[in-house]
Amino acid sequence: MAERSGAALREALAAKTLGFSSADQTEVVVAGSDTALTRFTHEACNQNVAANDLLVSVRTVIDGRTGVASTNQLDDRSLRDVVERSIALARVATSDPLVPKMASDAAPAAPAHAFDAATAGADAGRRGEMAGAIFREAEAAGYWSAGFVATSHKGITVTNSSGALASFDGTDAGVNVKMTAPDSSGFAEAYASGVGELDAASLGRAAVAKARTSAAPSDIDTGAWTVILEPPAFGELLAYLSDHFSALNFEEGSSFCSGGLDRTYFSDRVTIRDDYTHPLAPGMPFDFEGQPKQRVALVESGVVRNVVTDSYYAKKLGRANTGHALPAPNSEGPQPQNLVVDAGQKPVDQLIAETKRGLLVTRLWYTRTVDRKRAIVTGMTRDGTLLIEDGKIVRGVHNLRFNQSILEVLRRCEFSSELRRTASYSYALVCPYAKVEGFNFSSTTAF
Amino acid sequence: MGCETLEFEDLAARALDTSAACGASYSDIRFEIAQAERIEVRNGIVTALADTTSTGYGIRALVDGSWGFSASAELTNAGVDAAAARAVAIARAGAAIARRKFGMAPPLAHAGSYATPMLRDPASVPLGTKVAHLLEAEKLLHVTPEIAVGRAWIDLWCTHKFFFSSTGARIDQKIHQSGSGMEAMAIGAADVQTRTYPGDVGLYQSGGWEIIEEARLAQEAPRIAGEAAALLRAPQCPSGTFDIVLGGSQVSLQIHESCGHPAELDRVMGWEANFSGTSFLEIASLGKLKYGSDLVTIVVDNTLDRGMATCAFDDEGTKSSASDIVRNGLLTGYEMSNDTARLLGRESNACVRAQGWDFAPMIRMCNLSLSPGNVPFEHLFDDVRDGVYMESNRSWSIDDHRLNFQFGCEVGWEVKNGKRGRMLKNPTYAGVTPAFWNSCDAIGDERSWFAWGTPNCGKGEPIQTGRTTQAAAPARFRGVTVGVGYDG
Repeated sequence: MAERSGAALREALAAKTLGFSSADQTEVVVAGSDTALTRFTHEACNQNVAANDLLVSVRTVIDGRTGVASTNQLDDRSLRDVVERSIALARVATSDPLVPKMASDAAPAAPAHAFDAATAGADAGRRGEMAGAIFREAEAAGYWSAGFVATSHKGITVTNSSGALASFDGTDAGVNVKMTAPDSSGFAEAYASGVGELDAASLGRAAVAKARTSAAPSDIDTGAWTVILEPPAFGELLAYLSDHFSALNFEEGSSFCSGGLDRTYFSDRVTIRDDYTHPLAPGMPFDFEGQPKQRVALVESGVVRNVVTDSYYAKKLGRANTGHALPAPNSEGPQPQNLVVDAGQKPVDQLIAETKRGLLVTRLWYTRTVDRKRAIVTGMTRDGTLLIEDGKIVRGVHNLRFNQSILEVLRRCEFSSELRRTASYSYALVCPYAKVEGFNFSSTTAF
Repeated sequence: MGCETLEFEDLAARALDTSAACGASYSDIRFEIAQAERIEVRNGIVTALADTTSTGYGIRALVDGSWGFSASAELTNAGVDAAAARAVAIARAGAAIARRKFGMAPPLAHAGSYATPMLRDPASVPLGTKVAHLLEAEKLLHVTPEIAVGRAWIDLWCTHKFFFSSTGARIDQKIHQSGSGMEAMAIGAADVQTRTYPGDVGLYQSGGWEIIEEARLAQEAPRIAGEAAALLRAPQCPSGTFDIVLGGSQVSLQIHESCGHPAELDRVMGWEANFSGTSFLEIASLGKLKYGSDLVTIVVDNTLDRGMATCAFDDEGTKSSASDIVRNGLLTGYEMSNDTARLLGRESNACVRAQGWDFAPMIRMCNLSLSPGNVPFEHLFDDVRDGVYMESNRSWSIDDHRLNFQFGCEVGWEVKNGKRGRMLKNPTYAGVTPAFWNSCDAIGDERSWFAWGTPNCGKGEPIQTGRTTQAAAPARFRGVTVGVGYDG
């Protein structure tokens, strides 16, 4: 991919496209991607895929009217056409006096370790070796595995008619594995910028161990429980709170903190930041308007301090631009993209040892919002739900459905000293294990 | 066929030859030209006016029972050579570690073409008309100051697909899908209530501009907004065991989550285990499991008029057809691909789709219908002494075997002694899939049966968005747990 969409080529394309525009203001985003994923089940690959693309998106503003067009054909005729389409759309849009002048602040340097050449060049053979290591763990245990090994290289260049120019190249690698035993299952995952940081065999063993420990699951009572949420589970809940920190939701009144900032909403143990520089999850240092991404203190010791903005909402609310614009057109408003929850004081083993009776929850599934304002969500546990008694993990239990306010979770929590990166298709974040009192389970299922 | 076909035909031949030369026993290539138009209005301002074109191809190669897939947008000989070689290398890498062989070449190679029937091509509608259509409707949502946010949107998709295989398939299809909707968000001191129309995501079908006009956004806007505001003052839906009647779009969602997904054969076989999950169904369940009451018949029909997934051939070149999933309550079939069907000793029923040229095809739900019953909608309430009628989904959650579910709707109404009464807010209900469907004792007739489209079904890794249809009428279910999530 490097030849087709390295920063130099992207910047040349962006500059050429910009030069074709006669609009009052023009922004060009050139996004390249080379992504690959080896998916497996029952110790064979059921999907083994790779795709590369280079997309040119043009946003034009004419008298406060905005149009967006994009293409992945890179010849001059196609680039002229995408500019003209964008302008034609802008001419028909409504004029919005709040559309700001495109800014040109310089973007900071990319965080260390955001790009790993070995990951960018990883091929199917490399991913296959990692998957094969997982197969061997499954076979040794007499279980079957399902999951994936993924590697990707993505590059972005943003430029505009005000003079902004920013480029970033980043890599990601991930291993996700579920081990299925006769009457139980276990899960493990790991993500990093570099594929060399991931030990697939070790993850396979961890998933095997979880499946083994949760074998012969028993029924369990519903109701309020003390739970220890592993990072994949806790991260899933945080993801459902994330958009409450958007200036759009704050301003319209649908966020839990729409009543005001600089107020205590959570336990003083809770500090949440949006930080693209975190070593576990280094990210892009600018947003999709090319503006520098700030490291934002969203919650400090339980006090909600900030929401994230883009240029539009910064102007609308009279706040600083935190650099959290998403790709245009964007109706969702600015969004946090690099959530980090600060760690606690005790290792997770100590949190477990201090639990008289509780449940260790590996992972959540099909979490959905039940009540927006109160941030009540429902979902299921899966792939390793374990009973803790007198500080020890004693056995597996059948999975449970929860109905729980995330706001209440963050009022009754204690965090581990370990931090992990967790991810799903719509988010990636860094968080600790979370011990929560009074977590509400409403029903169970048969497995 | 147009000039694109001729150009693609040459590139296809090149790709398939290269793939064979690299060692593939079978390969296919799918070119797509995908155009998407999105218009969105929020509080009187056009917040999205976008036009996207994406062109590329994806090559599948089969080596020793393992598939490899490689996609690229480089429409050159060098581009297809590289992509074909990469697809074969990926297949070979998978074959090297595989303990099983999943991949099989499709048995038949079809030639043909198809275009979605339309009354009016959206491309012929002036852009200003489209924008004005939404601005007019959204303006009518602001019936009271409590409506803090009004939104209205249009999606127009045109995908031209060209499929070629090493066994001689040659298929040209142009698919048009259109949708629109609106939402009124009422915000109170400590509450947020929304009403969405039509249904819960809008009205999405295959077809042209007529789909947008049939949604009647402007005509329905004041009613929808009034309901959103009224919900702020409505009593909380009670908790307990009730008989429920579900509106058509909610039955559509119920089918989607608790019938369509568990009946995907790849899910049954564990191919989605780590992500979307497996299924409580097993191969041995066929012909034996009582999925629902005798009234329940569910059909997959990829020729359905206005179905979002309607086409002549699926994305691995299998001809579209109709087949049963559930007949009079008994499980009789699955949604299948060529690979999975032949493991079962059956033929594929053409349920394979890919989100775009850059995604590998996989089993998707496509068009799934709950056959209509014989009860006029208004008579579904006749025999309900103490129940709840619910409309428009708001939340949906089900376990990873598709058994334990909990759904929430935007609005409910009390039903007492056969009559709809006061409005209720935050209605939710929960159940276990086969028990729930076996409690179905009345289904609306053909007059209330409608092809509801779901434009945003997620499955697969990398995740793919599928556009599906679940056609349904309103239906009645007995003895359901209602009010979960709010009973504390």
